[in-house]
Amino acid sequence: MIERLLLFLLFLLGFWGILAKHNIIKKIISLNLINSAVVILFVLEGSRIGNKAPILEEGIAGIVDPVPQALMLTAIVIGVCVTALSLALAYRLYKAAGTFNIEDIRKEVSRK
Amino acid sequence: MSPEGLAFAPVLLPLLGAAIVFLAKAFFRGRGAVIAEYTGVFTGLYLPWLALIFLFPVVINGSAVTGVIGHWNSGVGISYRFDGLAWMVNVLGYTLGGAAWLHSLSSGPKGPSFSAIFLIQTAALGAAIMTADLFNLFVSLEVLGISSYILVSSSEKPGAALASFSYLMVSSTAMVFFLLGLFGLYRITGSLSYEGIAAGSGHLEGNTLATAVISLSLLVGAIAIRVAVMPLYGWLPDAHALAPHAVSAVLSGVLIKTPLFALSRILILFPIGKEAGQLMSYAGAATALLAVIIALSQKDAKRLLAYHSISQIGYIVCTWGAAVAVGIGTKAGTLLMAAAFLHALFHAVFKGLLFLSIGSSVDAAGERDVYKLRGAVSILKRSGDKAAIAFFGFLVGALSISAIPPFNGFTSKTAMTYLLKYYGQSGTVLYWMLTVAGAGTAASFIKLSRIYWPGKDEAYRDLPDRKGALAVLPASVSILFLSLLCIAGGIFTPLIFRTVTALLSGSPLSMGEGFSFFSAGNLMKSLYTAGAGIFVFLLATGRRGGALLTKVRERPRSFQGLFVSYALAAAAMAGWLLYHAFL
Repeated sequence: MIERLLLFLLFLLGFWGILAKHNIIKKIISLNLINSAVVILFVLEGSRIGNKAPILEEGIAGIVDPVPQALMLTAIVIGVCVTALSLALAYRLYKAAGTFNIEDIRKEVSRK
Repeated sequence: MSPEGLAFAPVLLPLLGAAIVFLAKAFFRGRGAVIAEYTGVFTGLYLPWLALIFLFPVVINGSAVTGVIGHWNSGVGISYRFDGLAWMVNVLGYTLGGAAWLHSLSSGPKGPSFSAIFLIQTAALGAAIMTADLFNLFVSLEVLGISSYILVSSSEKPGAALASFSYLMVSSTAMVFFLLGLFGLYRITGSLSYEGIAAGSGHLEGNTLATAVISLSLLVGAIAIRVAVMPLYGWLPDAHALAPHAVSAVLSGVLIKTPLFALSRILILFPIGKEAGQLMSYAGAATALLAVIIALSQKDAKRLLAYHSISQIGYIVCTWGAAVAVGIGTKAGTLLMAAAFLHALFHAVFKGLLFLSIGSSVDAAGERDVYKLRGAVSILKRSGDKAAIAFFGFLVGALSISAIPPFNGFTSKTAMTYLLKYYGQSGTVLYWMLTVAGAGTAASFIKLSRIYWPGKDEAYRDLPDRKGALAVLPASVSILFLSLLCIAGGIFTPLIFRTVTALLSGSPLSMGEGFSFFSAGNLMKSLYTAGAGIFVFLLATGRRGGALLTKVRERPRSFQGLFVSYALAAAAMAGWLLYHAFL
């Protein structure tokens, strides 16, 4: 139960960061936080029925559910792509506005 | 080739095309690179038509190509389903995609990188509509999203990067919630394929039912962001207005509809899905009405069009939701769904046409303000578009969206409002909301058409003569092609409607006994709506109307607002579904 509570806190922390932080780099980090929270939740769920690595050989029992792990590998890859792209956009915004603060960027962009 | 092989062509050919284009970028220079790029685009955007033609006889009688990719067993592999709905959405995507890419040869952005991303986006569209696996839908939506963030930011304007960033943040956050919803359903049913979920969620009660309902509302919320239903529309106007014209056309025409039709596959799995459809239907009607008021207040030509995309998707969501609410398998459901798709198809054509022709016009003038730009026809002629084809395209598009017969918008809007009144829950209210929105639409296109009125031309008289600098031929071809589709679509609506119902249900249906699209009553209604449009236009340009609309235009908008509205919408959906599940 304590694991789930911690994951929930991690998720809330990330969501708060996306909403309340003005710095867009911090927003991107927060997006990674909520993504990680969900990834860990899936992996945790897969380990409910066992905790051995899912390699099917003789004499191995109590393996984890392999499906969530496979899904999360894909989700992690997608998360990396999104992070890379958002950092590239952040760089472009910084070059255009000279700041990472989203409010200032909005003002700067609408002035141009 | 077998139907199983052909069904993957709309997904795999664009990916192959993208690979060819990337190779062209890496290994060739000069003429060779251009030839290789065009080969790739031909492979990815135009060759799939062959597969679609061969697949038509397979899906027309309501049957589908189904299976598991790679012949894995169904618990592990990814299931797919290529049926009439998938066929139609592919037709929609490839029609507009092909025309928009052609326009990009004139209006930019050119180059292999743009073409390759464009092709990847097309592949993701095909994948999103034919998948029958929840996690695969997540992947398709993410690929679709990532490619569209890149395409939006491929415009040089700094505002485009900000629009793309906001879209990315809100959409990626919603996709994390989508994953949570997926987690909930996997936990209850132990399956990710739609069939498995339907089998595992037959008799739910108590806690598991609550989990299923909350998971479902998270999925619906994440997809509703992509569809840009009120109140989740905040990211769309900037993204669509600041993207390059060809990208705006595809974003507005295709991208916001594909997730909606993919969602109908999920909602039919759950008995409670009908209630979700009902709430979406109400939200759609509100969207149609509110967005048109905001559209009327805009001064940037492309932003005005972007708000109209929201308003028109409202019509589609309203009818689509009513179809889900009465049950897609029933006759009423099939008719409503067919009308929703008909408008989705026609809207793709005329909104694509409007974005492309307005794009050509504002590029020629170098001015986007509706209140400043005048005499765009003569500007177009001087910029090389001798026959003012962009103006012709705008005229056809504007008459279509304002529902003037015999253009295509008239017939699809008639079908939707008629069927909603007849079959929908509180259909009369929805009917009137959509009708009033129709008057607003006519008014704002009268306003937009003023950029072509002759007058204060002096400001643009000393424009540099750009004859030849702007290769207008590809743009003109794509505009003429879409104009032709607008007119043909309107005239052949009865035939198209019967085909769509056959694709959805297996047997052709007609609107009803004695119903005619071009009956005197329907023609008169369109006349009244246009008249009301002129009246609204006069009100809006008056002193008080103008002041009110300025307030609407300058209403505060913030980054946080996007997230707050998402949270509210998902909570409202969960509350509505819980209420109907337990009470």
